[in-house]
Amino acid sequence: MPMNPILSATGITKSFAGIQALKGVSFELREGEVHALIGENGAGKSTFTKIVTGALQPDSGELVVHGQRVANFSPQAARSLGIAAIHQQPLLFPHLTVAENIALALENGASGWRVDWKRRHGQARELLHRVGVDLDPKRIAGSLSMAEQQIVEIAKAIGADAKILLMDEPTALLTDREVDHLFSLIRQFRQSGVGIVYISHRLEEIQAIADRITVLRDGNTIACREAAGIDRGGMIQLMVGRSLASIFPKHTVAMGATALEVCNLSNSSLGLHDISFSVKKGEILGMAGLVGSGRTELAKTLFGLSPAACPIYLHGSPVQIHSPAHAISLGIGYLPEDRRQHGLILDMDLGENMSMASLDSVCRLGLVHREKEASQGERYIRDLRIKAAGASVAARTLSGGNQQKVALARWLAIDPQIMILDEPTQGVDVGSKSEIHELIGQMAERGVAIILISSELPEILGMCDRIAVFRKKTIAGILQREEATQARIMALAFGHPDALAQETVQA
Amino acid sequence: MHTHLRPKFRLSGIQWALLGALLVEIIVFGVSSPAFLTWTNGMEILRFSVELGLLVVALTPILITGGIDLSVGSTIGLVAVTFGLAWQNLHLSIPAAAALALLVALLCGVVNAALIASLNLPALIITLGTYSLYRGVAEGVTHAAVSVTGYPESFLRLGQGYLWSVPIQVFVFLLFIAFYAVLLHWSKVGRGLYAIGLNAEGARYAGLPVRRYLALVYLLSGVVSGVAAIIYVAHLGLAKSDLGTGFELQAITAIVIGGTSVFGGRGDLFGSVLGLLFLCVLQNGLHLLAQPSEATGVLTGALLILVVASDLLTERMQAMRQRWARWRRPLLIAGAAGAAVVAIAIAFTLRSSRANAGLAEHRPVIAVMPKAKGDPYFISARAGAEEAARQLGVDLIWDGPTSLDPSMQNELVESWITRHVDAIVVAVANKGSISTVLRKARQHHIPVLTWDADAEPDGRDYFLNQATPQAIADTLADEGARLLNGKGDFAIITGPLSAENQNEWISFIRQRVAERYPQMKLVTVLPSDDDRDKAFSQTQNILKVYPDVKLIIAISAPAVPGAAEAVQQARSKVNVIGLSLPTICRPYIHSGVVQTIVLWNTRDLGYLTVYAGWLASQGKIPPNATSINAGRLGELDVRGSEIILGKPMLINKANIDKLDF
Amino acid sequence: MSYRVREIALAVTIAALMLLLAWRTTGFFTATNLVDLFLANLPTMMIAIGMTMVILTGEIDISVGSIFAICSVVMGECARAGLPMVVSVLIASVAGALMGAANGGLTAYIRIPSIVATLATMVALRDGLRWYTQGAWIQGLPQQFQWFGLSQSSFTELCLAVVTVTVLLGAAGLKHLRIGREIIATGSNKAAAHIAGIHTSRVVFGVFALTGVLTGLAAALNAVRFNQVPSNSGLGLELKVIAAVAVGGAAITGGAATITGTVLGVILLSGIGSALTFLGINAYWEKAIQGAIILIAVAVDALQFYRRDDAHTLAA
Repeated sequence: MPMNPILSATGITKSFAGIQALKGVSFELREGEVHALIGENGAGKSTFTKIVTGALQPDSGELVVHGQRVANFSPQAARSLGIAAIHQQPLLFPHLTVAENIALALENGASGWRVDWKRRHGQARELLHRVGVDLDPKRIAGSLSMAEQQIVEIAKAIGADAKILLMDEPTALLTDREVDHLFSLIRQFRQSGVGIVYISHRLEEIQAIADRITVLRDGNTIACREAAGIDRGGMIQLMVGRSLASIFPKHTVAMGATALEVCNLSNSSLGLHDISFSVKKGEILGMAGLVGSGRTELAKTLFGLSPAACPIYLHGSPVQIHSPAHAISLGIGYLPEDRRQHGLILDMDLGENMSMASLDSVCRLGLVHREKEASQGERYIRDLRIKAAGASVAARTLSGGNQQKVALARWLAIDPQIMILDEPTQGVDVGSKSEIHELIGQMAERGVAIILISSELPEILGMCDRIAVFRKKTIAGILQREEATQARIMALAFGHPDALAQETVQA
Repeated sequence: MHTHLRPKFRLSGIQWALLGALLVEIIVFGVSSPAFLTWTNGMEILRFSVELGLLVVALTPILITGGIDLSVGSTIGLVAVTFGLAWQNLHLSIPAAAALALLVALLCGVVNAALIASLNLPALIITLGTYSLYRGVAEGVTHAAVSVTGYPESFLRLGQGYLWSVPIQVFVFLLFIAFYAVLLHWSKVGRGLYAIGLNAEGARYAGLPVRRYLALVYLLSGVVSGVAAIIYVAHLGLAKSDLGTGFELQAITAIVIGGTSVFGGRGDLFGSVLGLLFLCVLQNGLHLLAQPSEATGVLTGALLILVVASDLLTERMQAMRQRWARWRRPLLIAGAAGAAVVAIAIAFTLRSSRANAGLAEHRPVIAVMPKAKGDPYFISARAGAEEAARQLGVDLIWDGPTSLDPSMQNELVESWITRHVDAIVVAVANKGSISTVLRKARQHHIPVLTWDADAEPDGRDYFLNQATPQAIADTLADEGARLLNGKGDFAIITGPLSAENQNEWISFIRQRVAERYPQMKLVTVLPSDDDRDKAFSQTQNILKVYPDVKLIIAISAPAVPGAAEAVQQARSKVNVIGLSLPTICRPYIHSGVVQTIVLWNTRDLGYLTVYAGWLASQGKIPPNATSINAGRLGELDVRGSEIILGKPMLINKANIDKLDF
Repeated sequence: MSYRVREIALAVTIAALMLLLAWRTTGFFTATNLVDLFLANLPTMMIAIGMTMVILTGEIDISVGSIFAICSVVMGECARAGLPMVVSVLIASVAGALMGAANGGLTAYIRIPSIVATLATMVALRDGLRWYTQGAWIQGLPQQFQWFGLSQSSFTELCLAVVTVTVLLGAAGLKHLRIGREIIATGSNKAAAHIAGIHTSRVVFGVFALTGVLTGLAAALNAVRFNQVPSNSGLGLELKVIAAVAVGGAAITGGAATITGTVLGVILLSGIGSALTFLGINAYWEKAIQGAIILIAVAVDALQFYRRDDAHTLAA
């Protein structure tokens, strides 16, 4: 196999509004290589991907593609150099058909003023066939499921005849069979000399498919190793940088009565079915699973964003939660996964964001008591060590970690009895991360029943008393803290009985 | 970046600029027009701004949530009509009628709230639908024609009276401003509204009752429009289905100029009220300067673009260069000051030029108002008016409403009173509402004359009667009868359904026909809205739906050529007669499609408006005069308080070529 | 495609209305009446094609009535000045294009929200026109002004051809021309369109200019039906056009609209007015009925599964 580098990035830096996402990333991709890029959430993988595809310009550093130095890289330029990407979030036109979505991505500015529908449909059919999926190209993209959307994204990338293919969590929404097929496609690409950047959290996948592995941490390239020469424990060690125990100090907490119980819960509009579990006061119940396995859907159901078919038991009494306001009044808080869209209102200031779920407590006769709100804000800024000039700056100006603290403060302010945290440390710097973990621990000490949804296995293993593993919109199994390992969690998440027999991670 | 007022006021860049511009406006108008900076004028500006202002205040929170409500003007029409009819036909007391009317207003709000907040349908289209629906119901219920007047004094005081020299409705307005200020800037609901505008999903995730808050603002908008309607009726002394036409767009203009973004999340009540004041002062000032009403429209449009563009520009500048942000306020203030200096210079030049033009002698100013500026009938009258003005060496102000809304005539007369013109001559569109303000003019010792259509007798000194409505109707009916030999079906095409004197003619025609030509039958009356094209299609419809019709009487000047064209294109033998101008009917008279049109010399009429106005201002019409000398018109009869121009003239093939108006 | 549901519903409603008219009236379905209806609503139909595209990109244009008025006057003035008819039509269309381009520039490049930009131009243009004409009609037009000097029926055929071509070109363009697909893509997901290499600013600018051209052309064709040109035509035209497009199934947020739907919407709303007269229902109820139709059409949307907000997860 030829060893020529087709993509080489050196010293790439990038910051957004004062937050430095990339501090100095180097990466080299060879022809015919599958090169995995791993790192925790927020390590900089997505930002790097965007730079390579031309969607973002680096602040400094050099990017060399096919031996040519590139500057002022636009998405069109990237495409013309044979770079294609499959993003985590499908970016489709909801009103157009699958065929047209594929075509628009591939036709890109060329090929005249007439539209050749026959060619488009044929092309789409062929590409979908290659992906190994039976999807009607005439379907409207808006009606596709998330998994189907991702398949379209894959088809787009395949059709782009890329020389450099970036795949960001491509298997997140796929079934096992689809994953197998994807891997065989990847091997075909490799055979034909295409270089693939494979970004994933799934360490066994990486072991199965990657040639080399580059580890990012906090915006820096930490290491680049041959895949054969490192195991999962080694990968995690490099990603995290310290041994697990020190990051996630687990408090021992005396647990109380059952605060929340769910029996055969289902939610047809979100696809959830047969979910049963309970959480005690002071307990931290982790929820692991692949993206799309139903954890956030469950959170939304518990929080009243989507109605459940049957009641939930709060402190023993059944309730039907019909709105977030209702949930809050019952003492349930939800820190959502999407901090910027759902967790905060970025253009409002910190005090306003923090009081938003508990306005009545800063109101008198329905009128907002500004001083009270501001002083509450100041208090949280102090207590949570939020790096901000004051309570009246806009939330948009804070870094990810500090924003998350503000979002968390909103829920601390309602003094919840049940707290659902959805990826609470995603995109958060390490310092803030441990502070947030500390806060979670303190909540548990206070007797709050906590549900912790996380894709970061070390975090779940470190913090939780029990771990519920989700798979295909239901719970595949619940592990006690003592028996839980990454391998076991992954096994349940994938449904692979063989995986249980594999080597476990050194914790 | 702050999204709304804090206890200590913080104005955005745009609002500083607006405040500055308002000051500039006041200075320019104050300097170039002596009557502007008076208490009375200021109060009149306020009075006229209340109805619109209530809408502005109610729409601001809606725009802040990222929504819109285009139906507020139509709600005013519907509520006004409900109120009027409840009082007049159902014989409810004023408070009871008001309560019923407000209930209807609430209902209007409920419909919007249900469709937009609960069903999550797009506000633009929904309120476009209710804009049409509410106005349509108002028109349907009143047949667009009914106009309820004659309210008791006690009620009219609400809209026309004063309390401590301030118009009473201003207090109501202040109350609502206070209510909305508290709601939007201090209450938790207001906080929620801003959150919804910035990020509705995020607001939902925070547990804010998004649907409930949205429903509230649309509901309130309906109710406030209802309050505005009742005040409006008291103000004009008139309830009609076309009240409030065009108000929604004016309100939105004021709000956007005041710094609110149509995307939501940004803006405040102070800015909206500033925007409102700015526009009202602009309109008033321009009127006082005898600039035509169109100037307001053109300037408003330009301003809207400038404001939004500059807002976006400074935002982008701020995003790009942090250091320029420091300079923004000082720059704006400097800019405003510079503009003020320039404006003062212009104002002084204007003023001195006007003085020079008058040869340092006070030239009498005669203000003449047509019913509508776009009608060719009035354009020909204007030619005569200008002729008289030249001859007499007086200044003529010729201005009139650019929209259907009755308040415009009133507003214009008010500004003329403030200017203290030497005579006011008005072609009355709405007898009930205009008479109030005309009486006021007389109280200010300004002679008032009416022409083309009369006001209430105590509202004017003289009425220039080219022909009584009865005479016009009789002439038309007689001429029609002549062509039909006294029997057959006929139809009438009128102007807008709500036009008062057309409706008067129609009833007189019915009367005449009933009395003298019992074998003639009026089968339908269709509106043309003074639109030639619409008269054309309506006539086509008549020819098809009522094939027995032998005669069409078109009583709006643009309607006659429209009807005639339709008859001609259909190669029909139907007769067309009506009230129109020779110039636009000439080809049809020559071809015989139109047998006769009834008119009088409109140019002479226009000439008379200025001449008689001048005579009255100079006191040259003695109290019991039986005739006056009207310049080139010679001696004209005066009967009581009516100056008779002459009889209606029958214009036909024989004499049309001699006429050029 | 779910558009079909809306189009079928409209077609059924129109059919029902026609049945009612056929049963209760005579004279509605004569050739003359249909021709008259067609000519009277020609402006609405032509402009609605352009408006469909504007709404497809997620924008709106409420100034078409004012542009119509100005182009009518331009047409008249050119003819009065003695220019050949073809040239006059061209100039009127160009005038429309320029005003449309102004709207497009404000919206696409200066980024003023289209509702505000077209509100401003609507007011400024109409009042500016009134100022200029002082309300006077344009008269003294040459003989060959009316119907381009053709016979009445030839003129009607010409108009039919023009409208048919416009409708067909619009529909075909949206389906088969790259620029047509770009229009839909821009309104469907502007971010994705940008990434796909579509010049969204140019697309938005273009649809406004196109609407302007269609407005100018419609104004010219309408003006020559008579021998004089009034100075305040097109009042309320924007409302009619937008209502027709909305009733035709367009989503005001963009990406969803069809020419077929728009055409059906125009037919339904224009037909109502005339139908009322034929059915003997008072003209006073026309606005109310039109408003009700708009509300019903959009409320029915709420039942349409496909267009729920969940679809927006795609664009996130």
